[in-house]
Amino acid sequence: MAYCVRCGVKLSNGTKTCPLCGTEVQLPPGMEETSSDPLFAKELPPEGTHGITKARKGLIELIIALFAVSEITVGLSLFFSDALAYGFIPLFCIAMATVSLVSIVLAKPRYVHHASWQSLIVALLLLGLDGADFVWSWSLIAVGGIVIFWMYGVFPWSRWAKKHVKGGIALSVLSTVFYLALINLVVSGALTWFLPVAVPTLLALLLGTLLFFLWFSNRKGNRIPIADIVLGSMVVLFSSSAVFDGSLARYQTGAISLRWASSLLVTALVILLFMVAASLSLRLRRYFTSHNRHD
Amino acid sequence: MKRIQNYAPEGFIALDNSALIYPPTEAVFNANTFRVSMDFSFSIKKAILEQALHDLLYRCSYAKIRLHTGFFWYYLSPNDAEPIVHEEGGYPSGRFAFKENNGYLFKVLYSEHRIALECFHALTDGSGATAYLKLLIERYCFHAGMPQMEFSGGLNYRVRPAKQEFSDPFQHLYDKQIPSYPAISKAYHRKGNGLFDDRVKVISATIATDQIKKRAKQLSLTIGEYLSTVYLYSLQQLQLEEVPNQKQRKPIRLSVPMNLRRIFGYDTMRNFTLFAVVGIEPALGFYEFDEIATEVHLQMVQSQSKKRLLSQIKRNVSGERNPFIRFAPTALKNPLFKLLSDFLGDDQYSGVISNLGYVALPPQLESQVVRCDFHLSPGLLNKISLAVIGYLDRIVVNFNSFYATDTSLERLFCTFLVEDGIQVEIATNREDTR
Repeated sequence: MAYCVRCGVKLSNGTKTCPLCGTEVQLPPGMEETSSDPLFAKELPPEGTHGITKARKGLIELIIALFAVSEITVGLSLFFSDALAYGFIPLFCIAMATVSLVSIVLAKPRYVHHASWQSLIVALLLLGLDGADFVWSWSLIAVGGIVIFWMYGVFPWSRWAKKHVKGGIALSVLSTVFYLALINLVVSGALTWFLPVAVPTLLALLLGTLLFFLWFSNRKGNRIPIADIVLGSMVVLFSSSAVFDGSLARYQTGAISLRWASSLLVTALVILLFMVAASLSLRLRRYFTSHNRHD
Repeated sequence: MKRIQNYAPEGFIALDNSALIYPPTEAVFNANTFRVSMDFSFSIKKAILEQALHDLLYRCSYAKIRLHTGFFWYYLSPNDAEPIVHEEGGYPSGRFAFKENNGYLFKVLYSEHRIALECFHALTDGSGATAYLKLLIERYCFHAGMPQMEFSGGLNYRVRPAKQEFSDPFQHLYDKQIPSYPAISKAYHRKGNGLFDDRVKVISATIATDQIKKRAKQLSLTIGEYLSTVYLYSLQQLQLEEVPNQKQRKPIRLSVPMNLRRIFGYDTMRNFTLFAVVGIEPALGFYEFDEIATEVHLQMVQSQSKKRLLSQIKRNVSGERNPFIRFAPTALKNPLFKLLSDFLGDDQYSGVISNLGYVALPPQLESQVVRCDFHLSPGLLNKISLAVIGYLDRIVVNFNSFYATDTSLERLFCTFLVEDGIQVEIATNREDTR
């Protein structure tokens, strides 16, 4: 009979780790313990097999039966109306709907799993619809869009992304870059505006965000005021809009000039100036913050 | 031998008042079941247990029933199917599979050294199930050729069943004139860490009765009150970490089922329990252990007052008698009952601690009984339930949990007891511990 060194509770014979805190049981060298009877006659059954397996099974059978009936009905009606040549799209849609329903029943009940499976199925559906003639065009952009949705709407909640935050952010940024390049390639057939317009804009956005992040995170205290976040985002957005405008003008006319974004750039500069001043001058900061928050 | 005449139920039998809520709310994560079991030093033979079960149903023919979904209400009817004795599985008080049990609302299980009785709550409550288990064991010992014995406070096999055994005392105690018991605000519910699934994971803490009794006596508490206090104190610590803002801390309350048989003097074998709700308000500040002990003691005394209990009974029974509810079809009643069970039940408390009390063993069995257990199915909102049972010189506190890995409540509870000078022995059916 051993005791847990952390919790101080007595553990039943043969226990390897404390059920309460997970601390490993340390026995003196050479000492072996006989195993006592387990709490219940059988081992804990595998997760989720009790109570819901039958229901799941029934549901899958129902879905497959519906799939078979609808495929046969649609196929026959197309055949008798001499339209079987156009049959791929409806039949493929029914098949993909079935796969989607089955994946809903089978996937682990977690947001990441469900959203990933459904994204994959929708992407395959779009590729299939577009590629009925083995030529893919618009579906590539749509599938890229789904990948972007997955990168920003699903991936951040996955275990890997939660563990590797920096890696997750890098992957998301990279996927955005590739998506823009893909759009350029699909629409124009070559990288035309991607390098002169998209890359500088993205770089400006990243650089601005990084600079503000470094500035805010290195200040005293952990709290970042909401006003700073709003103003900082405005500066980054406005200045990268100006970069976009400038690079677009250069791409279209060959000369660097600001057309519609000059006022945005001025606004960004004014806000930046104000933020720097507020950060340097205690008096200014006091004037703009409430009476009881002088930080 | 004198022929025993039973009050055999015929045709349609209405559910008792507190059983009404269980069939509509029954779900994967709300099984509404519980299990009482006894472990012996001798090995259990299935054939003898089947005979004993036959005897049990002969004496208590009112338990030979199955559940039906009627147009207006769920109802019970006599069940002529053969009762089945099951082999024990890997975890207790899971969802009840009525079909696999020939429709019976209770299930007799056995393993090498254990006899267990698992009940769907619509049949009876913990005390009722213990009485069934006692009779089952008596009959088992009789057929196994062991010296004859009788549990105190159990059913007598040779005595004809009294009419009261299958009566619904709630209907007798209903008084139209009493105002209904007021509903209370929502309580704190633990979020818990990590995943959870529908397998009931048990951590069983065995405590020496004299140690805990001594400690409870110092605080002028009963053992049940002391355990409720420790439970509240542990929950308060968890809430402290989970909700840093004091103002946002919701009240922590426990639901403590009370056996009304002793209070009102009825001897029914159906459900006859109400819940005492004891709790603290952490929004007012941190409660020291002694403060919680005082609160729990006062609130327990208050909730045992007959007047308050009658008012609760009035609320429950008047709901059943309301013509709008009465004549609503079951399909409409089900979602309504689910909502009611949340508003008047799970929402109001942060945990359940059910204390079955001390099971007195006949002297012939004292050396043969190795262990007694009581398990209660947890719910979706309160994913851990505590079930307490006492026997010989020990008390077993079973933590039944849906959480896959989170054992922080169990750890806080047990380490508190250890720090309080009470020795705790732990056993579990959780994976990766053996």
